[in-house]
Amino acid sequence: MTRADWVLLVAVIGSLPLLYTHFWSDEGVARHLQVQIGNRPARIIALDQDRELTLDGPLGTSRVEIRDGRARFVNSPCPGKNCIQAGWLTGAGELAACLPNRISIQLLGMHPRFDAINF
Amino acid sequence: MMTECRRRQPIRQQIQTTPEDHRIAWLAALAITIHVLESALPSPLPGLKPGLANVITIAVLLQFGWRMAAWVSLLRVLCGSLLLGTFLSPTFLLSLAGAGCSIGILWIACRLPGRGFGPVGYSILAALAHMTGQFTLAWLLFIPHPEIWHLFPVLMTAALLFGIVSGIIAGAMTREHRQCRT
Repeated sequence: MTRADWVLLVAVIGSLPLLYTHFWSDEGVARHLQVQIGNRPARIIALDQDRELTLDGPLGTSRVEIRDGRARFVNSPCPGKNCIQAGWLTGAGELAACLPNRISIQLLGMHPRFDAINF
Repeated sequence: MMTECRRRQPIRQQIQTTPEDHRIAWLAALAITIHVLESALPSPLPGLKPGLANVITIAVLLQFGWRMAAWVSLLRVLCGSLLLGTFLSPTFLLSLAGAGCSIGILWIACRLPGRGFGPVGYSILAALAHMTGQFTLAWLLFIPHPEIWHLFPVLMTAALLFGIVSGIIAGAMTREHRQCRT
């Protein structure tokens, strides 16, 4: 081991924690809600304010509630109500959709989570 | 007259090889063997591999210089992929990107003033550069999703550990070590 070896080793070991803090911070914190209705371009809505969205789809009006950085469907004119049963979306990447009314909402974070990984 | 005589002789072509070419071939064969054997090892994470063929690259670098190390490393990637049937596949491209980056960083490291690095230093640099190059390419071409970077610190830690181990092995293989600046 030469002196350069030691310097390198110390520098690398010292900077590894920085890599961890840099890439692992902010994990899964949702910042925005992406709202998609039919084929229209998606709308991005900030989660920092509590509000209720009224979204008009082909079947009628769905209502989405945003509270404490979370979001959920409160009402939808669909037969199955799966979107409402999906409950609160809390982490970045989580998604709820009302297919009959062609509305989907998804939470977005700084680093969106995977919905699928395939190797 | 002379040209006519030559034409009548049977055509025999032989590629002129130097002792250095033979040495490159032998060392590359060794590296390829390790590469192929290692590909049989199971891996808990894609991209995570001990990279023991790196030992040969580092040993060659110390013993015979950078130019030969580059030859051996790139030949290993090429022939290894042909043997494993991954030539021009994503695996091959990732491997090539990694080998290219590690050879590149070794070129720079060899040109440092003073005594420079020893086997462990070169090996750590090569392993980290390999991982960074491979990972960046994977992100750019195959999984262009920011979430993949969460794997990066883990893979870099593994690269550091395997780099140290490979360096120690390479150091044990090359007792006397010469300058790598050729």
